[in-house]
Amino acid sequence: MFGLVDAVSFYARAEKVFDPSIRHKPVVVLTNNDGCICAVCPIARQLGVPKFVPYFKVKSFLAKHGVVVRSSNYELYADLSERMMNVIARYSDNHYVYSIDESFLHFKNFSCVDNWHEYGHVIRKAVWRETRLPVGVGFGATLTLAKAANHASKKLSGFDGVAVIDDKASRKEILSRMSLTEVWGIGSKLGKRLSILGLKNGWDLANQSPKAMRGQFGVVVERTVNELNGMPCLQWDEIGQDKQEIFSTRSFGQRVTDGHALKAALSSHASIVGAKVRRQGSLIKRLVIFASSSPHDDSYYKKSVIYEFPIATDNILKLVGAISYVFDNIYRQGVSFYRCGVGGVELENSQFQQQDMFSLSVNNPPLMKCYDQINHRYGRGAVEVAIAEKNEKWAMRRNFLSPRSTSNWSEIPKINC
Amino acid sequence: MKVIPVYIEAGISGFESPAAEYRELNLSLEELLLQHPNATFFGLANGRSMEGRGIFNGDVLVVDRVEHISNGSVIVANFNGCFVCKIIDTDNALLLSASDEHKPIKISESDDFQIEGVVNVSFRLHKKLPVLLSCLG
Repeated sequence: MFGLVDAVSFYARAEKVFDPSIRHKPVVVLTNNDGCICAVCPIARQLGVPKFVPYFKVKSFLAKHGVVVRSSNYELYADLSERMMNVIARYSDNHYVYSIDESFLHFKNFSCVDNWHEYGHVIRKAVWRETRLPVGVGFGATLTLAKAANHASKKLSGFDGVAVIDDKASRKEILSRMSLTEVWGIGSKLGKRLSILGLKNGWDLANQSPKAMRGQFGVVVERTVNELNGMPCLQWDEIGQDKQEIFSTRSFGQRVTDGHALKAALSSHASIVGAKVRRQGSLIKRLVIFASSSPHDDSYYKKSVIYEFPIATDNILKLVGAISYVFDNIYRQGVSFYRCGVGGVELENSQFQQQDMFSLSVNNPPLMKCYDQINHRYGRGAVEVAIAEKNEKWAMRRNFLSPRSTSNWSEIPKINC
Repeated sequence: MKVIPVYIEAGISGFESPAAEYRELNLSLEELLLQHPNATFFGLANGRSMEGRGIFNGDVLVVDRVEHISNGSVIVANFNGCFVCKIIDTDNALLLSASDEHKPIKISESDDFQIEGVVNVSFRLHKKLPVLLSCLG
């Protein structure tokens, strides 16, 4: 049996944990630099507040309805996420954190559960009691069915936060109430193509011939059909696979026109990408480096350059060196830059690197290990490549930030006696 | 809590300290004071109604969400949108203070009330730290 546990509108609910005054109010959370709405609590959803719209477009609507607006409090969310995952991990023999608010469970050697429905509620209650976060729990014979059950547990009527797909009747009931794109792995493009065939929902997809689906749409859809029928195709190891691409990108708090500041920002992104890449044991072959003005500006400017390393690397000095090398191609005087970023797009496994007979490796594992350890112990940014020096202009704008109640002594909540 | 242990060795240089092999993990305040670290949060006491139970203005409250609640427990609750620290009278649905100057508060149906956790530990800083005082501002 597989399980998927995830939090209901995690960011918005996290805001309510240490602020009882907004527990019954509509709450939305904004993305980096207070740009867009990225989380909407259930009360705000009932008011019809949309997700992923720029904040300035709905500002007056939110004010009119008394919606509480918050900047993303990553310090708080990271801590609450860790607590939530610690609780969930107690309830299975194998646990994989899939995203900040989502984790898969695998019950391989678990014979002690005879009522999955009850067990789901045990997990929900424990998470609620210990963290004050509401979660949905779904169980199924495959990862795709567990994901579908999780969807049902939160979004379909008749479920109270837990759903189990363990026979044909429960499969049919849940899948026939799910649109194609709500099935795990079916994106909007694929959904459109499938609907041309006359398919309407997940149950229709489950009843297709896997072979025919493979012929028309490829092996991924074939596997999805099999998974929907309770035949495991996705291996447990695959969900935890290394990322193929790693990006660090952000918009500036204030516009940047100065070349040095842009270079510093790009270099800083490169070092973040380097740290992430080293954490998963990969090397970068190709680096994408880009910068742009705002799409809302009159003369929109965007430039993106690819730099290819002769030998794949995780060495921060090489990554930052690449920025300097291509910088003149990206920077243009007079442009007020709004956004920039760096991404490693062709990643290789550092364990199985193909060595070059003639050129020496450019990597320096002992130096990188030391660098990472210093930053781990004394906090990110304790050591930096000199060019990546921080500039307050591109610090994040977080005008509606709530207290960092669990990570900062000066921001713990006040309790009236 | 991040503590960087620095070991001071008294031996003559070149010889290992004879105490080295007796070294263990340092005493941890967290281990002593936090029963359920995962389900615990800290808050700052504001007010004088709990002085009879040894909780003074400016003390740090350790709030445990897992701890069992019984009649007479010192609890932290959300009472109408505010965190309050009181003694819970579960038999009569009352919030009691540990001071004669404060009357019991009856919890009625119209109140927004949830218990957030139990306070089994609180601690006092005899020299007030500026970092904590800013919470009361």
